[in-house]
Amino acid sequence: MAGNKRIMKELGEIQSNPPDGVSISLPSESDFNVWHATISGPSDSVYAGGNWKVEITLPKEYPFKPPQLSFKTKIYHPNVTNDERGAMCLGMLRADEWKPPNKIADVLKLVRAVMAAPQPEDAVETSIAEQFRNNRKEFDKIAKEWVNKHAK
Amino acid sequence: MAYQQQSEEEVAELQKLSNEYEPEVTGPLVGQREPSTAISTEYASADPVFQAKTAALPQKYSHYRAVRGDGRCGWRSIAYGYFESLIHLGDSNKFLEEEARLRSLSNVLNEAGYDALLYEDFADEMFELMRKVHNALPAGEAETVLHEAFNDEGLQNYTITYLKTLTSAWMKTRQADYAPWLLHQTVPQYCDAQVMPIGAEIDNVSLSALKDVFLSTAGIALEVLYLDRTEGEEVNMHRFDPVNYHGGVTIGTIRLLYRPGHYDILYKVEDFPQPPPPMQTYLQYGSHVDDDPAGEVGCPDFMALIPGMSYVNPHQAWMSNSSYGNDFFATSAPVQQCLPPVQTPAPQAQPQIQPQPVYASPATPTHLVAPPMQMPHEMVIRSVPSHANHGHNGFQHQLSGPFRPSAWELEDGFVQATSQVPFQTSIFRNSHFNTAHFLNPDFQPEEWRPEDESHDDHHAYGISRIPTAIEATLENTKSID
Repeated sequence: MAGNKRIMKELGEIQSNPPDGVSISLPSESDFNVWHATISGPSDSVYAGGNWKVEITLPKEYPFKPPQLSFKTKIYHPNVTNDERGAMCLGMLRADEWKPPNKIADVLKLVRAVMAAPQPEDAVETSIAEQFRNNRKEFDKIAKEWVNKHAK
Repeated sequence: MAYQQQSEEEVAELQKLSNEYEPEVTGPLVGQREPSTAISTEYASADPVFQAKTAALPQKYSHYRAVRGDGRCGWRSIAYGYFESLIHLGDSNKFLEEEARLRSLSNVLNEAGYDALLYEDFADEMFELMRKVHNALPAGEAETVLHEAFNDEGLQNYTITYLKTLTSAWMKTRQADYAPWLLHQTVPQYCDAQVMPIGAEIDNVSLSALKDVFLSTAGIALEVLYLDRTEGEEVNMHRFDPVNYHGGVTIGTIRLLYRPGHYDILYKVEDFPQPPPPMQTYLQYGSHVDDDPAGEVGCPDFMALIPGMSYVNPHQAWMSNSSYGNDFFATSAPVQQCLPPVQTPAPQAQPQIQPQPVYASPATPTHLVAPPMQMPHEMVIRSVPSHANHGHNGFQHQLSGPFRPSAWELEDGFVQATSQVPFQTSIFRNSHFNTAHFLNPDFQPEEWRPEDESHDDHHAYGISRIPTAIEATLENTKSID
């Protein structure tokens, strides 16, 4: 199917020329719709020094539906659900805002950008967002603790 | 009036309802073509403005096609209409021409910064669909192929994304043309937020850009009919003609019915292939073939083989049933044109006072028996469009009305004496209804010359006096000889 063709193209491109701070692997040789990304924390952020495993699931309608992101490594962040799914869904990742010419590489760049600059107005974890806005010190402290606890 | 008696709250309520109109989100992505009276029925209990507008709709737009309101109906309707226009044109070359044209637009896509690796997937599916429809054209299955393809959601995604990418690229590379239409937004911002996202429905600006890049250059016009609560008896229509493109030639028109938030496709009768003409059309000439073997009446059949020629029984002098329509359509099928002698009361050379049935005898009921079992293939293909047939009948009526039988009748054998040319009056011969003109390279309209009036003594046909109209015929006959 043509969707698969597209995935193969992107996989080839991203493996030969990965975005900064990202590496990609396929957990299963037979399933090209699940990718594993290892994302390093942006150096100028509270997440510096950590590495996060993110599972990217490409729906069978890809590229007409957005990839789904799931943080397999816990992260303290207003835009990532604080549960076992660890879902991130904002901006271009929303189904009605997704554009078929967007690439997975673009998605990964977005993830790193959001790690560097959390977007509390688009938060899924409202209490973390509130803390990020009103008590930045406390937020930074917990986030760094989580990096040391989970992401190293 | 009921409308004026409504309180402001009621009007506001109705306006709210019309704003909240939610089109069907179930059903096929593209429905079948249906009579547009269904829309009138749908709004029969709506408020008076909608009632009046939808009641007037079927008079001009006989059919419509429902498109699923999933937020992409505008894009889908235009894409569908584009293919339908190409199918209706039926020109194989146009498909190839269009594919070449769209392929050449990859320059625009590249210039706008779209990655060829990505957009070629969308474009390839579009071109493949064009070829599939094109290949189904000779078998007459193009419409079926198109309908199936547009109801395949996977394929549909590619086609619509292709159009969106094309529209964005066109706008981004012509920002000066479109920027004035956008408020507080640059063209690239608009494209990213309101064109490219999967859920983004077409709006006025993207519609205009899509029309420019996709339709106008192909020579396809676009009409949008707005069905809303503005005053008026009819839907408001905005038409975009491809004036500056394609040499100004319009190959088709896409008509969209817009209800706030939703598009469907509308059709006029001429927009789609017509069903086969009524049986009666070929019953008339078919029956001659079967009932009257040429040998029995002994007419010289070589005359009937000549395109544009028809031999007509002298007593059937005037419009003998469908003989004129006949010889035009039967040029490649050697159909005998002779009429049954049974029909003619054989008026001899004697003054006739009673109107004769022969003058206006369009297909007597006895002729309208069962259709011939075997129709020559040509006839089915060249079946007479029904309106042409009406024109023909109208002409018959027109002639049979004021025409009075002449006191002068031709003798038997007259036609043989004049080399058996088609026996036609000068009035009909020069009429634009006479299709024989089409086939006669030497045709010249008759001109009146004063000197022709002065002498008529050189006629010697064994009859002492013939009516002037027939004289003129004979004059012309001689020159053909």
